[in-house]
Amino acid sequence: MEGYVEFKNVRKVYRTGEVEIEALRDVSFQIGKGEFCVIVGASGAGKTTILNILGGMDTLTGGSAWLDGTEISSFNKRQLTAYRRYDVGFVFQFYNLVQNLTALENVELAAQICKDPLDAATVLEKVGLSERMKNFPAQLSGGEQQRVAIARALAKNPKLLLCDEPTGALDYQTGKAVLALLQDTCRRSGMTVVVITHNSALSAMADRIITVRSGTVESERKNDRITDVADIEW
Amino acid sequence: MRRNMLHREVRREIRATFGRFFAIMAITALGVGFFCGVRITTPAMVHTANSFWQEHQLYDYRLISTLGWEAQDVQALAGRPEVREAVGSVSADLLCTANEREYTLRAMTLTLPVNGVRMIEGRMPENASECLADASMDSIAVGDVLTVSESNKEGTLDMLTQRALTVVGTCDSSLYLNFERGTTSIGNGSVSGFLYVDDALFDTDYFTEIYVRFDHDDVIYSQAYKDLMASKDAQWEALAQERADARYARIVEDAEAELLDARKELADKRAEGEEELEDARQKLDDARQELSDAEREILDGEAELADAKTELDENGEKLEDAKAQLADGRVKLDESKAQLSDARAELDEAKAQIDENEQKLEDARAQLGEAKAQLDAGNAELEKSRTQLDGAKAQLRDSKAQLDTADAQLSENEAQLADGQAQLLAGQREWEAANESVQSQQSALAAQKETLVQQQAGLAAQLADPALPAQQRAALEAAAAQVTAGLTQIAQGEVQLEAAGQTLTVKRGELAAAAQTLETGRAALSQGRAEYEAGLARYAEGLAQYEQGEAAYAQGRAQLDAAQEAYAQGLAEYESGAAQLAGGRAAYEAGEAQYADGLAQYEAGEAEYEKSLDAYEDGRAQYEEGLAAYEEAVTALADGRAEYEDGLAEYEDGLAEYEDGRAEFDEKIQDAEEKLSDAQDELDDLEVPDTYVLDRSANIGYACFESDSQIVEQVARVFPIFFILVAALVCMTTMSRMVEEQRTQIGVLKALGYGDGAVMGRFLVYAGSAACAGCVFGYAVGTVLFPQVIWMSYELMYITLPMPYLFDPVLAGGALVLSLLCSLGITWLTCRVELTRTAAALMRPKAPKAGKRVFLEYLPFLWNRLKFLHKVSVRNMLRYKGRFFMMVIGISGAAALLVTGFGLKDSVAGFAQVQYEEILTADASAALSAQESEGLSPELESVLGQTASEYLPMHEGSWDLVTQTQVKGMDIEVALGENIAPFMHLRTLRGEPLSLPGDGEALVSNSVSERFGVHTGDTITLRDETMRELHVTVTGVFENHVYNYVYLAPETFEHQLGEMPECNAVFLNFPEDTDIYKAQAALSALDEVTNVLLFDELKVRLGNMMSSLNYIVALVIGCAAGLAFIVLYNLTNINITERIREIATIKVLGFFRRETSAYVLRENIALTAIGTAVGLLLGILLHRFVMQQIVVDLVSFRIRVEPLSFLISAVLTFSFSLLVNAVMGIRLERINMAESLKSVD
Repeated sequence: MEGYVEFKNVRKVYRTGEVEIEALRDVSFQIGKGEFCVIVGASGAGKTTILNILGGMDTLTGGSAWLDGTEISSFNKRQLTAYRRYDVGFVFQFYNLVQNLTALENVELAAQICKDPLDAATVLEKVGLSERMKNFPAQLSGGEQQRVAIARALAKNPKLLLCDEPTGALDYQTGKAVLALLQDTCRRSGMTVVVITHNSALSAMADRIITVRSGTVESERKNDRITDVADIEW
Repeated sequence: MRRNMLHREVRREIRATFGRFFAIMAITALGVGFFCGVRITTPAMVHTANSFWQEHQLYDYRLISTLGWEAQDVQALAGRPEVREAVGSVSADLLCTANEREYTLRAMTLTLPVNGVRMIEGRMPENASECLADASMDSIAVGDVLTVSESNKEGTLDMLTQRALTVVGTCDSSLYLNFERGTTSIGNGSVSGFLYVDDALFDTDYFTEIYVRFDHDDVIYSQAYKDLMASKDAQWEALAQERADARYARIVEDAEAELLDARKELADKRAEGEEELEDARQKLDDARQELSDAEREILDGEAELADAKTELDENGEKLEDAKAQLADGRVKLDESKAQLSDARAELDEAKAQIDENEQKLEDARAQLGEAKAQLDAGNAELEKSRTQLDGAKAQLRDSKAQLDTADAQLSENEAQLADGQAQLLAGQREWEAANESVQSQQSALAAQKETLVQQQAGLAAQLADPALPAQQRAALEAAAAQVTAGLTQIAQGEVQLEAAGQTLTVKRGELAAAAQTLETGRAALSQGRAEYEAGLARYAEGLAQYEQGEAAYAQGRAQLDAAQEAYAQGLAEYESGAAQLAGGRAAYEAGEAQYADGLAQYEAGEAEYEKSLDAYEDGRAQYEEGLAAYEEAVTALADGRAEYEDGLAEYEDGLAEYEDGRAEFDEKIQDAEEKLSDAQDELDDLEVPDTYVLDRSANIGYACFESDSQIVEQVARVFPIFFILVAALVCMTTMSRMVEEQRTQIGVLKALGYGDGAVMGRFLVYAGSAACAGCVFGYAVGTVLFPQVIWMSYELMYITLPMPYLFDPVLAGGALVLSLLCSLGITWLTCRVELTRTAAALMRPKAPKAGKRVFLEYLPFLWNRLKFLHKVSVRNMLRYKGRFFMMVIGISGAAALLVTGFGLKDSVAGFAQVQYEEILTADASAALSAQESEGLSPELESVLGQTASEYLPMHEGSWDLVTQTQVKGMDIEVALGENIAPFMHLRTLRGEPLSLPGDGEALVSNSVSERFGVHTGDTITLRDETMRELHVTVTGVFENHVYNYVYLAPETFEHQLGEMPECNAVFLNFPEDTDIYKAQAALSALDEVTNVLLFDELKVRLGNMMSSLNYIVALVIGCAAGLAFIVLYNLTNINITERIREIATIKVLGFFRRETSAYVLRENIALTAIGTAVGLLLGILLHRFVMQQIVVDLVSFRIRVEPLSFLISAVLTFSFSLLVNAVMGIRLERINMAESLKSVD
């Protein structure tokens, strides 16, 4: 199942005025279908840029990016929007829930624009929030909010779940719980999950670990000894 | 150094958030520009006009006396210390033609240095035949010659020394700032332009007016000037009256001396005349006597003639009788002559007939003889044919007998033949039978023979066998023998038979011969029969011929008998004809004799007639002679009579001449006496002259300019408040957002140790510099743009004057202070709360505002029906209540401004129409000088009857309305007729009709009601200039837009003042397609009519005047549009920046562009809808408020907003909103998702 997600010599240059910053250069990797992949690297190494390109939020300057045999990097704006809409689910560090909608409504917001969404209430139940469905984000704890965010991403029934520092704003225990939820989802539903983190300890739980450094892939390897989240300490 | 860093930071902030900075700046500029621009307009206009009038020294007083002024009056006034200049002037209204057009012009002498003129072209007039023309008359140019029409009033023409004026220049006059040229009593009643002429044009010894300019340089309309004039009024009125009275006294003295002389002269002339008349009388009486004698003579002659006439008439009658008798005789003679000739003709005809009949009888006799001979021949022929017929009959009988014999023989032959035939047949049958038997015997023998042959052959074979027993052989031999025997027998039979056959053949020949014989007999018989038949036919033929001959004979016999009879009859006829002829001849002979007698008688009558005719002719000639003599006598008498008549006529003429002379004399004397007494009366009537001291408010240009410039000032009072309010609102939302965005930074600055002042200063500098920049920009543009644009609009009505830029430091300073105060105050208020927090609290991210259920969610029947995204929008709108209200206030403010702007236009545009098309529907009003309380003069009535289709006598007056606090002049109207419907429609503001007031009642116009607080049911007091008072109860308030009116009933005057109001005005309606200007001129020409006012013209004039407001309305609308745009843009902008994360999230979730726009901007649309709805309602209130502020004296506007204006306002507001949405859609597209989501905010 190699090559479900594939980056081939990806290059990304940001231009601000006369200054050019090369965020990515010659990035190549592959992720298999159903894999739990962790992209790890220091701040500014280029992980988020990878995620943005992979998530259809940004374009690349050179090379190509593929998902399930389709070249994402050739999409135009509208195709990119459609791609985000149907193929990708996002989980952000700061949840980015719509404050003015309840937990359930936040999930519905995503679900209602998809072709084949999962039932919002069921998904929320799955992430353990059946009791808090009617609450607004402000009435939920950070972990709960992140779980709503995950539910929102899952409800879209995407091909790929992208998580950008999902535990960054959470305390240790809550973070663990959220990671467990992600791992669980991956195992149970066979969804391809890509987690971006600066915390290399998390790589122990991944099927595949990609280490990024200074805008390029330093190493890419399969994890032989997958550790359960509960056993990871950091 | 520290401050520098902060300043630099602020500069960067401004550059980074220029949109926000610009919003504050723009709204401030708009507010300040509008406020200052409108504010400065009125002063700038007044300043402009003031400069012009200062330069040309506009008069302060215009003095008019009903007797005019003398040069000594002018000198006396000019010598007064407070007077800078006093100049006398002569003016007259002239009808002039130039380029084949007629103009009504006001000609006046130049009064420099007072009331100066601004030369446009050419030069000043230098002699009496030159003039300066009004520059506003496009059709008159330098070089044109104006000819004074002969149709001018006699008095006017007498004043002039020239009848043709050459235009040597054109100018604007300081007396005419606008294009109103006033009214006149000549021409069509309206002056088309002015003329400045040389003093020498007028041949008068007096001035019509004196212009006085005091020694001051006060600004027009200023309080200082008003005070100055107020202090002069009473004094100058007295002064003017004093000068006029002095002139009056001089005039009276001169006139009395003149009168005395005239009386004396009259007495002398009267005596002289009487003497002359007496002589003439005497001569006339003599002539009278002579005429009487002549008349008597004529009468005698006439009697004689009458006798002769009678005689002549008798003779004439006799002659007529004779003539009649002669005519009768002639007629009778002619009759008998005719009878005679008729008889002759009859006789000749009878003779001819008799001769003819004789001839006919002769012919008939000859015919009868011939017929007799023929009859005899026919008889003989008939006898011969009888004999022939008898011979033929005998022959026929013989041939019949022969034929019968032949027939019998033939029948016998036929019987014999039949017997022969029968015998033959029997023979034949016998032969047949014999033949048959022979043949059958032959065949039987043949068969026996064969059998025997065969037996012979068989026996032979058996015998041939050697083995044959002998016995048998023997038998066999026996048998063979028998057979041979048989055979021999047979041969015998055959011979016999052969013989029988021979016999038979012979018999057959016999039979055939017999048959032949029979056939021959038969043929002979047939031939005999045929011959018989032919004979029979010949017999029949002969018989027929005979029959025929018999019939012909019978016919001939009958014919002969008939001829015999006819002959007998003809013979009888002939006999009777002969007898008749004989009778006729006898009668003819008798007639011939009678005719001869008649002829003799006629000839005798003819001779007698000739004789009497001669006698008549003689009598006739005698009568003619007598008649001629008579005619001669009559002619002679007529001549005499004519002579007499001439004499009489001559006498009558002389008498008439005398009478005329007498009358003329009496008349002249009376005229002279009357003139004297008139002069005396005139002198007695010569009232102490009225004087008028008119100040500048009597000048149309001056008065109009004041009210026109004030309109702008009124508007200026209200609108800017709105802009300032909205500017404050924009400033507040913008700054509070800025403070919110920069919480962390505030916290950091505080943590770094900066004081509250420094932190606050940062925001104050930001807001203050924006406001400052906006204020300066707004002031500069506004104070240049507004006065110029508005002044441009006034150029429709006023002469072109360059408007200098007027800088008002107080206004500029005030605007700056106000805008700074506003922006800084609001910034301070917004920051204050945040600054009280600790640095730590500020640096912590502010807890996001919690989502909340909105009240709508508790209404499931509504909530559940909404789409999901609509629910989100509803919740968003209601969640940010502050923004909701700001948006609604901003949008509704813009919408309200638009409604007000358009409503202003509606209200202003329509009032003149409503006034003169719906309320005052009369076509014109004529002011009358005749003070008649009992109806109109007959002359006036006849002219009115010709020009107007209907008219209503009115009393109009100017009375003061006396209230506790003020006294205000009102126009009172009293209808003196019943039928007011064609002229005016009194109705309340709500449109309910009002009836005319009754005794002691009054109707007041709405403007009176509003301005002086007079309401239905109140009792008001009205006072005229002689301090008479009327107390009336207000019974209604009627809609009226021009002037202040009070309607009263004539009975009120009668009961409270003891007299009926005089009729001094007439309301008129002209028939359709009348040239109203001609009608106006016709009416103006009457002495009793002092002025004719055409309401249609007034309507147009008012409409033009108010059209200047259109420019202001356009400006208001433009500013409202700018306002709406800025507010919407700013608020939407803030809305987006505030929710940028949410929008980014939505985009990341894969919302398409349109969905994202809809998600955000749907709220805008909804808020626009709410804001517009509120704004339309607010607009009504604002419009009403503004209209109440705009107070133009004498005009009250209609407060009305047309539905179309609402629609346009709503559509415009929505357009702004959609435009902003379109711009914002682009911004939404540009939001960088990745960037937006990273920040914590």
